[in-house]
Formats: sequence, structure tokens, C-alpha cells
Amino acid sequence: MLSLLKSIMAALVGAGLGLWTAWAALERETAFDVVRAGPWRSTPKAAFVTADPYTRAALARSGQVPLSPGEGLTFTAETDETGAPLVTRCDYIIASPIPAARFWTLTPLTDKGALATTANGGTGLTSAEIVRDSSGRFEILAARHARPGNWLALPSEPAFTLALRLYDTPASSLASAMSAGQLPTLRKERCS
Amino acid sequence: MSDRKLGWTIHLLAALIIAGLVHIVTILILPRVASRDSYARIASVAPINRFTPLPDARTGAELLPMQDPALARSACRFDLSAGPVRVRADVRGLEGMLTLSFHDRRGGSFYATTDRGALRGGIDVMLLTRDQMTALEALDLEDETPQELRLMAPTHEGFVLAGSLALDAGDLDAARKRLALLSCGRESPRR
Repeated sequence: MLSLLKSIMAALVGAGLGLWTAWAALERETAFDVVRAGPWRSTPKAAFVTADPYTRAALARSGQVPLSPGEGLTFTAETDETGAPLVTRCDYIIASPIPAARFWTLTPLTDKGALATTANGGTGLTSAEIVRDSSGRFEILAARHARPGNWLALPSEPAFTLALRLYDTPASSLASAMSAGQLPTLRKERCS
Repeated sequence: MSDRKLGWTIHLLAALIIAGLVHIVTILILPRVASRDSYARIASVAPINRFTPLPDARTGAELLPMQDPALARSACRFDLSAGPVRVRADVRGLEGMLTLSFHDRRGGSFYATTDRGALRGGIDVMLLTRDQMTALEALDLEDETPQELRLMAPTHEGFVLAGSLALDAGDLDAARKRLALLSCGRESPRR
């Protein structure tokens, strides 16, 4: 009797542990093919039919459809270049370089990855509306309140994430060799 | 080792093995049982074999999470069980950018392109099952290359997701209109 009880206990503990570790792995967004370059992170193969099981399970749960490398490449950043979390009470400078791409867009998101409400009601910037200097370099100021020049309006929530999407880019096939020096800088300016 | 200790060790090992199995099975089975996956979300607004505009991504109302808000979206949910499905776009003189990605029933992408990938000013893709592909190839003339790109879909059901880039906030309406260049429909059988 006692040994049966112990067996049932072992089975229950095992099942619980298995479910919990599966849930934890999905919450932590475990993926096999993560490319990191400075503060930027990308999972270029996540869209494929052949993506790893953790990625596929996470996508099935969230309902996301990531960009396929044939269309473009998504990078996200949750920290600045020193590794400090991105917070909306600070201003940030996002500046060239940027990998060659036909178009790119920069979108501020909440720290949960959802679209955020910003001061100007905007949802980000595209490469077509950026003002550049004579050598083609650009500097974007990300701040909660309006700034002159290339202004990226930040959300009203305390923390945020940045999504950089490159479309029609040769970087798709070179994503794994991407280094921090090829992606935009993400420098904290002043904080209020 | 005493019998008592041995008994505990066996139970602990059993628990760990069960934990491992449950972990693996959960991860593998999730894509099959998820009720709000990308296909289900698209199916809630898009009928079969027709491009349908998806609602604009707005704060608090995102049909598909983590989509670029600068892209106007439309989707064609396909079902190949009644015959091949053809996706076409005339992109001559297009301003902006069109993206197309082809997904199986589980949301995995098996092909993607942009208007840059167009041949002779158009995108022309035929989606087929393995059997349909074999049947079609049997009809092909030997010295003639097919006009369209033939793709074998991993599952009979799936969806094609299209995007049209709005160059700035004021371009969103025009971007939505550019999606109308795309068509998706059942291919009429050849004689």
C-alpha cells in the first residue's frame, strides 16, 4: 500500500516538474539559434518550418508569425549598449551604422513585446522618413517627449523594448556573423 | 545501501525520468493543441482562398503579436484539398515594398519573398500537394519551362501572409491599397 502511494507520488512530482520546466523554458523564450550582437538579439531561423521545437511551441502559444529571412530580419533590444535595461525616463541615441537593407523600421514596444502608446500616437520610424547627413549617417533620438530632428517617440510605460526590422537585406544570410559594430549604437543620454 | 534508501532512490529516479518525458511531450504537442496559434487567429478573419486585409495593429488590439505596425497586412488562408491554389501579384511600377510569406498549418514558413523576387514584373506562385505536383508535371511539355513557381506545401491547409510597407505614417492608406495587387485563388484544372 505504502509503496503504491510512493509510486503515485513519484509520478505526480515528475509530471509536475516536467510541466513546470516546459512552461519555464517557453517563458524564457529559449531558442537554439539566437544571434547576439551588442544589445541586439535575433532568431533568424524562427520562422522556418524546420525551427527548433522550443521555438515552434513558443510561437504556437503566442500566435506570432516572425519575419522569414526571404522578407527580412528582426532584431530586438531590451538593454542599451552597456547592458542596462531600456527605460522611458531616459533618452537614447540610436545611430548608424546599419546593415544594408532596402528599407528598415524601428518600433518601440512595451517590455512584453506589445505595441505601445506614444506621445505623438506614432508607432515608430522607417528608413524613408529619417533625415541623414551628407555622408548618409543618421542619429535618432528616442525620448518620451518631442525632440527636434529624428525623434522616436517612446511609450508611456516605464520600460520598453526596441524592434529593428531590416527588409530585403543581404544580412539575412549573414545573420549569424553579425557583430555589434554593424548594428546601430544604442547609447543612453540623460535621464529625468 | 539499505532497502529503504534504495527505495527512495528508485522513486526519485522514476520522478526525474517522468519529468523529462512530460517536458519533451509538452513541448512537442503544444503546436498541435494550441487553440490561438497564428492559423487560428488568421482563420478568425480570413475566409479560404482569398486575400483578406487584416485589421491594423493597434495598441491593445493585435491580431498577430510582434508584427511591424509599418506593414499593412493581408492574408489568404489556403486549402489544397480541392485543388492547387495560385498566388499572383502584378508589381510593375510598384512604389514601396510588398512581402509574401507562405506558411503551413502550424505557422512555419516554407517560402518567403518580396516584390524584388518578381520575374517579368510579376509574382506567380502555385501551391500544390505532392500528388497535385506529380499530376501537373505529367502534363508538362518537355521543352517548356513552367511560367509559375511551383511550391509543394507541407500541409494541405495553411496561409499566405502579405505585407505592404507604409513609408511613413501618411502612407498607410496607400500601402493598404497596394495589397490589392495581390490575388489568391483556386487554380482551374487543366485539360
